[in-house]
This record gives sequence, C-alpha cells and structure tokens, in this order.
Amino acid sequence: MSTTLTLDGFVRWLESFRARIDEQTAYLTELDSAIGDADHGSNMARGMAAVMTKVGESPAATADELFKTVGMTLVTSVGGASGPLYGTFFLRVGMAAGPVSECDAAALAAALRAGLEGVVARGKAEAGDKTMFDALSPALDAMDAAVAAGASLEEATAAARDAAATGRDATEPLVARKGRASYLGERSAGHLDPGATSTALLFEALAEVTAA
Amino acid sequence: MSPVGVVAVSHSPALAEAAIALALEMTSDGGPAIAAAAGTADGGTGTDAARIAAAIAEVDSGDGVVVIMDLGSAIMSAELALEFVDSGLVERVRLVAAPFVEGLLAAVVRAAGGAALDEVAEEASGALRPKLEHLGGQSGGRSDEPGAENGAADAQANEPDVPDAEAQATVRNVAGLHARPASVIAGIVPGFDAEVTLAVGDRPPVSAASPIGIATLAAGPGTLVRIAARGLQAGAAVEEVRRLIEEGFGEELADLTAAGAPSASEATATAALAPAERRGTGPLGVSAGRVIGPVVVLRRSVSEPDAAERLPEDELEAALAEAAEARERVAVDYEARAASVSGERRTVLEATAAMARDDAWAAGMEPRIRRSRLTPARATWETADDLAGQYRRAGGVFAERVTDLLDVRNRVLAAITGEQPPGVPERREPYILVADDLAPADTVTLDPAICLAIVTEQGGPTSHTAIIARELGLPAVVGRANATSLVDGTLVLVDGETGEVLIDPDATAQATATGVLTTPPFVGPGATSDGHRVVLGSNVGAPRDVARAVERGAEGVGLFRTEFCFLDRDIEPSIPEQVAEYRQVFAAFPDQRVVVRTLDAGSDKPLPFLTADDEPNPALGVRGVRTARRNPDVLERQLAAIAEAAQHETAEIWVMAPMIATLAETQEFAARARGAGIGTVGVMIETPAAALTASELMGVVDFVSIGTNDLAQYTLAADRVLGDLADLADPWQPALLRLIGLVGEAGSATATPVGVCGEAAAEPALGAVLVGLGVTSLSMAARAITPVGRRLAELSIDTCRSAAAAATAASDAHGAREAALAILG
Repeated sequence: MSTTLTLDGFVRWLESFRARIDEQTAYLTELDSAIGDADHGSNMARGMAAVMTKVGESPAATADELFKTVGMTLVTSVGGASGPLYGTFFLRVGMAAGPVSECDAAALAAALRAGLEGVVARGKAEAGDKTMFDALSPALDAMDAAVAAGASLEEATAAARDAAATGRDATEPLVARKGRASYLGERSAGHLDPGATSTALLFEALAEVTAA
Repeated sequence: MSPVGVVAVSHSPALAEAAIALALEMTSDGGPAIAAAAGTADGGTGTDAARIAAAIAEVDSGDGVVVIMDLGSAIMSAELALEFVDSGLVERVRLVAAPFVEGLLAAVVRAAGGAALDEVAEEASGALRPKLEHLGGQSGGRSDEPGAENGAADAQANEPDVPDAEAQATVRNVAGLHARPASVIAGIVPGFDAEVTLAVGDRPPVSAASPIGIATLAAGPGTLVRIAARGLQAGAAVEEVRRLIEEGFGEELADLTAAGAPSASEATATAALAPAERRGTGPLGVSAGRVIGPVVVLRRSVSEPDAAERLPEDELEAALAEAAEARERVAVDYEARAASVSGERRTVLEATAAMARDDAWAAGMEPRIRRSRLTPARATWETADDLAGQYRRAGGVFAERVTDLLDVRNRVLAAITGEQPPGVPERREPYILVADDLAPADTVTLDPAICLAIVTEQGGPTSHTAIIARELGLPAVVGRANATSLVDGTLVLVDGETGEVLIDPDATAQATATGVLTTPPFVGPGATSDGHRVVLGSNVGAPRDVARAVERGAEGVGLFRTEFCFLDRDIEPSIPEQVAEYRQVFAAFPDQRVVVRTLDAGSDKPLPFLTADDEPNPALGVRGVRTARRNPDVLERQLAAIAEAAQHETAEIWVMAPMIATLAETQEFAARARGAGIGTVGVMIETPAAALTASELMGVVDFVSIGTNDLAQYTLAADRVLGDLADLADPWQPALLRLIGLVGEAGSATATPVGVCGEAAAEPALGAVLVGLGVTSLSMAARAITPVGRRLAELSIDTCRSAAAAATAASDAHGAREAALAILG
C-alpha cells in the first residue's frame, strides 16, 4: 500500500473513471433524461474518451501538465455544462498540485479542494442545489477529516468515496436549483442528480487505484 | 475607432448562424466583426470555452468585445473562456445577460453605429425591455419567482395605478442604502397611512417597508432612487423618505462630484464597500488596542432540519401560522434586547428585529409550506438560505449582514423547536472571544469588562462586529481565517490596529501588549482645538427624532422643521394641537436652544389650505414665508402656538422664517414674531439675495441660519434632486462658499450668530470650512454630531480659516474639496 499517488496512479485513476463512465453511460443518460436534457452520460463518455486519447498521445511529466490536458480536453469535447465544470475542476486540481510527480494524501486533498472551489466559482452552486457539488463537497470534507485524523491515502480516499455516494443519494429528494433541471421545479425531486452520480464514480475510481 | 466586436455563443451552430443573419439584416454596410462560437468541435450540440476564447480574440480590434450567450453551459463556458484570453483583452470583454436573439440584434446594431463598448453592452442587456413592456401585465409571474420574495410582485401589481405622490432622491452616504438605512426607512414607513415603494433604474419597485427589498436595490452613493406612494398620507411619507435619503442618514457623505476621479471620499467609499472583495485577503484590525488573553470560541450548534419530512395537507395553514408566530416572538425578543442597551447596539438590534419581521420571509415560506409541504423549521431554513443568497449576491455591506440573517434564522428555529438559542458563553474570567462572525444579539450579552477582544473569521470594516467593538472600546480583528479552529484556553495576543493575532506569544511579544485604547464618543460642547466655540445642534423633523438627538449629545436643536404637523392635512391644525406637538420637542431639551423654523410649505411640500398647485415653477413660487402674503393668519397662529409652547418649557426658543429674499420681508416677519411674544427672531439665508444683503438683515433680526441645500440650488440654478446636476448643486461649489463667507463676515462684524442647517454641516471637512467662513453653529442629522464634533476638536480656528480660504479660491467643487482637505489633513 502506497502513501502517495504517482503520475502513473493519476493516469490509472482517469482510466478507471473512464471505464466506469463507459459502463454507466446509459444509466447516467437515463438519470439526465428524467430531469435534464439526456446527454450527461454520452457527453462524459465522449469527453473521457478524448481525454484518454490525448493523455496517451503526449504523456505528461508532471501532475499540473497532466491535469491541464485533462481539463482543456473536457472543456473542448464535452459540450454540456459538465464541460466547463469538470474542465475547471481538473484545471484547478492541476494548478494546485503544481509541477510534481506524486502527491500524498494531504496534497491530493488540497488539490481536489482547489478543484471544488473552481466548480463553485464556475457553477455558483451551493449545498442542496442538487448538483455535483452535493457529492464533491462532502467527499472532500470527509477526506480532509480523515487526513487530519492521520488516515492513510487508501483510508482517506475510501472515506471520500463513501461520502460522495452518500451525497449522491441525498440528492434524490432535492428540488434542483441550478442548471436546466431547475426549470422542472418540484418535478426534479425524486431523481438522483446525474452530475452528483458521475462525481461519485470519480471517487470510486480514486479509491480503487489507491487500494490497488 | 473601429466597431466593437460581437460573439454569439450558442449550443447550436444553426441557431447562432440564423440569429447572426437576422441581426445583420438590420445593418447596411456589413456590420461589426461578429463570430459564432457554437456547438462542439465534433459538430455536436454544446458549447466549448476554447472556441469562445478564440472567437473573442478573433473579433477584437482593440475596442472590445460583447459576448451574447444562449442558456445553461453557454454561460459557464463563456466565463471560463475569459480565463483563456489574454489579461489585457479580458478587461474589454463584456458578457451580457441579454436574451439571445434580442441581445444579439441590439448589440450588432449599436456596434455598427460606432457605439463604445459599455454602450453596446448596456443596449444589449436592456433588449428584453420592449417585449416586457408590450406583454407587461399578461405575463404575470409565479408567486415564487425570485423577485416576489422581496416584495417586487406586490409593487408591480400596483404599478399601473398612478401614485398619489412621487419624488426622487440621490443616495448621498458613502455606504449607500445598506441594511441600517434600509431599516430606518422601513421603520418609518408603517407610521404613515400610505403604501410606499422605491425603485432604481428600470428594475421593478420594491416595498419601502421591506428592508431586504430595499437592500436588493443595491443603491450606492450617487444612485437616483424614485419614491412613490399611494394613500392618504402619501405626500408626507414620500417627503420623509426623500429627506432621510438626501440627508444620508447622518452617515459619512460621499463626494458625488468626482465621478471617476479618485478622491479622499472615494477612497473611503472603496474601503467601506470593499469587504466582499477583500474576503480572504487576510486579517484586518478594525478597533484599536493590543491585549492578551485566553480564547473562548463561540460555537453555533444549529442542526439542519429534516428535508424529507412532509406535512399532511390539513396542517399547512397551522404550520404557516406557527412559523409567523415564531418570527414575531423572535422580533419581540430582539426589541427587548434593544431596549436593554443603547447606542449602536440598540440600532443594530432594532434593525435585526425589522429583519425578522420582513415580508420577504412570508413570501419565501408560503410556497414551501403550501406547495412543498415542508415543516416550518425546514421552510425557515431554506427561506433563510435564499435570503442569504440575495444578500451575498448584493455584495459589500449587504453581504456583511448575512450573519444577522442567520442569527434570525437560528432564533426562529429555536422558537419553533423550543430549544435554547445559541449565543455567547457566560464567563467570569477575562477571555478573547473568537467566532465565525458576531450577530448583534450575541454582542448584547457581551460584557466588555470580561471580554478583552474579539476575533472573527468573517466580516469587514463595516460589519456589526467592527461597529460594536468600536463602540464597546474592545480591540477587534476581522477576517482572520481558521480562527474558530483555535482550542478554548489558547493564549493569544490580539492587535486591533494592525490585525495581528499571535498564538501562544512568547514573553517578548507579551511585553508589547499595551491594553485597550478606547475612543470615547464625542461629548460637547463643540469647539475647535483652541477653544473657538461652535454649537453642534441636531436637525429635528418630528418628535420621534428627538430621542436620537439627545442620545447623540446634540447641543439642542439647530433646525426644528414644523411641517410634520401640517403636511397631509386638509385643514390647518388648531393652536392647541400645535402647542402639544411643539412641546414634545421642546421638553426634550431643557435649558437648551431649539431653533424653530416656521412652516416651509410650497414647492415640493404643497399644502391644500395654503399653497397653489398650478404654479409653473413651484421652486420659484409662493413658498416659505411668502405664503403669508395671501394667508398671514396661518403664520400668525403658528407663531402664537410656538410662543405658548415656549412658555410651558425651559428650552430657549429661537424662531426663524424660511425663504427670505428682501429686507422688507425680514422686517415684516420680525415684527409679527416679536408681536406674538417671540424673544429671539431670525431668518433663513436660502436665496442669494438674502446672502448678499446679510448685514442689512442682521440689523433687523437676532440671528440667521443658512440653508445650504436651497442656497446651493438657487445659486447654481440647479434642482438638487436631479442626479444629472448633482455636481452643480454641490455644497463645495466655490460660488456657494463665497456667499456663505459674505454672511459669515457680516455676522462677525455685527456679532450676530450665523448657523448652517443643511446637509453641508454633516460632512466633517465641510463643517470645518464653514466654521472657517465665520459660521458659529452647525445643525445636522444626529448621527453626524460625533464625527463632526471630533473633527472640529482636532483643528484650530486658523486651520479652519486657511481651509476656507483655499476652498473659496478653487475653480470648482472638486478642487475646493481637495484644497480644503490638503490643509485639514
């Protein structure tokens, strides 16, 4: 069990995220068809496919370089709101991580939090708006708490994964207040938020690679 | 100059191309540089920040780019695109919140016409207006739309009706219509039998009884506010609100002449409005003093009410009533706390009580309980979130009131659930209080003898923490990140001047603690540093102003406006009625001077039994003392009432007439007043004619008082309520200062007291200049007494005179102010 996540580990994280998105494309799109424009699954799948192609073509030497490529590729290939949101997330993660080749749990948590701040700045979402924020924010709170309590990288990312899943599940009864789903008002209650669902996948992938 | 470029951002390439083609049909010669950034790279539906950034760079010719977006991700992608373009270019890109087709068309037409960047952006952002106006009443609106929450819907519903009274006022105080002024307005409006609304620009009016509604106007200094009212007392209500706004609530006034040019007062304005922007830039000392003590962290333990619980259909109305009753109990509790303290803390608590009673709560609660069937606790929680969001978006001083709002929420939740509301811990040993931010209710239980200092994570220089710390004389630092993560009992050194918070200071650092530096409130009598006496009185417009004037240490009343007792009456009040009203004011100032102005009707204050309503130019018509030409009886009876009221009280009553232009008028008034038994008689100097003949007038009366607002308006021939002419009707105009100087000289030569009772007296620097010009008393809104008194006490009379000489010699109002400030320091 490793105490840091290396560049190679980051790439495996992205690969695993992509695999989960591919596996659940139809499910994500189905969620989005209930409350949005039925494109979240296909948009994310297209975006992550483009990301893996780009990353394969020109391997990055440092974390900031890698995540900049990921962010810019998502921005230009996703199309929907997830493009600028996930794009900003990875761009900020890269900027916060800096030109390093590996991150320990604390550095990773700090970089991910910078990503969250980017998402908030971009989407202006707050807790309970039924957005990806509702999975992302509790995940990072849990990760910070675990790191502060001296948890290992594996334990901290596992805590983040669990909190993201709980956050995702909690979006079901909420009434959407951001994005196209907000036009549905009360009718948006009773469905999981697709963005929160894909975010939970991102943390499943992270927990998987740190446990490997 | 080349035309401003336009970028159309859409999810759909077909939509963007068609919209651009439609817009270009409106131009004859090809139109401006325009580019579409639509669809994803692979031709799909969506938006792409990188393409938007490229399109912006492509159409920019150096004069800027306007970006019009369709919906959803287009907006976020456009914002993200700004992170990808050169920093030099970012400054001249405007993302416009315009409807896509209308906005694009408006932008293209204006850009083709050679308009500058901001004109193009403004035209585009107003592009929905014609459609709104056309469809206006039919479009209706759901009652839970955001605007409805601040009372806009009610006001809109009334809009087609012609108001019974209207006026405009320019916001003059540096901080604008923030929460305290808003609650002052909302506090007086219910006292009138009238529905009053305020509006700024094209936005729908908001209820003047709703502090949150007023706050959403985001009216900063210089903003023109339209006041309208319907109802029996519409006129009086509008006049009172206009007066409050124009007087700047007794707060520091902004320099409205120097638009664009940096000045001392703009620097202050920036400082006052800066907190939202400076969040996160580090700790800031807001109340001086350097002390050491153990930390006590204020913890707020309010748990979020269950979001999943739903009420049965038959309990909804009871739930609404329960929530309303809880808010009322909380408001009553705030008022009780307010009554137990004085000064700023009282004002702040009264403002918070008004916040608890705000109509915006009911507007937010009703759909949540009636339609979503949430519990009262949950609906309160979500409504508070919404309101807090509105405050945060308004930014600046509004954002600083979020803590107060959340305190209201916490107390309402406690009232609903029957739990203890959170608050400041009770301690017997000295401690330093650490909190995320303090709410006014927290500070009431704060004992300045035990609490040594305050450190908060949130807040800016004008937050309640800062205001209250200064009043209690406690050192305070705001904006200290992670302060609440300190462990109770940790020793810290706090410097309320430098913003330093040192954890576990060593012996050397501990030795630097110097204790609390208190700045006591100003206590009269007013004088310069070398003892030149200046009487600092308060303006009083109604008996309700009296308590504040006394509390602020006013040396009597320099201007008692008597209109309140006449306005909105169809017939003149009887002498006994008048006597009773006047005595209320006189009784509050035993053995002190109260300068009474006789009825100043006409112009903007018409009275059905006294003034004509068909004058072509009411400001130059039968107003003030001129109404006595046709109706001397009204004045005679008022003088008799004043004289009788004076006999019953010990206050020293001086009486003066408004709108004097000639020596003959002065003689006539003096004869009438003395005949009625008034001992000390004076006239107002509000016309250039009176100023130029001041020494002759002083041969007839015992004192004069300069009304700078009217004197400025008549000297510069500029209506002072017109925002466009605010630079002319500026009390710093050298021509005005020279006229005041003439009156001051005449006063010195004849040993006649010369007062000033306009807004000018409330600005500390200008007050000093007036004293330098020979003015012997200043009368102002009660709040201004401490800043003006303090400033004068720092200056010698010679410094005031030098500043006055420099200001009168300047070539314009801005220069006069700069020249005076250079000397006053």
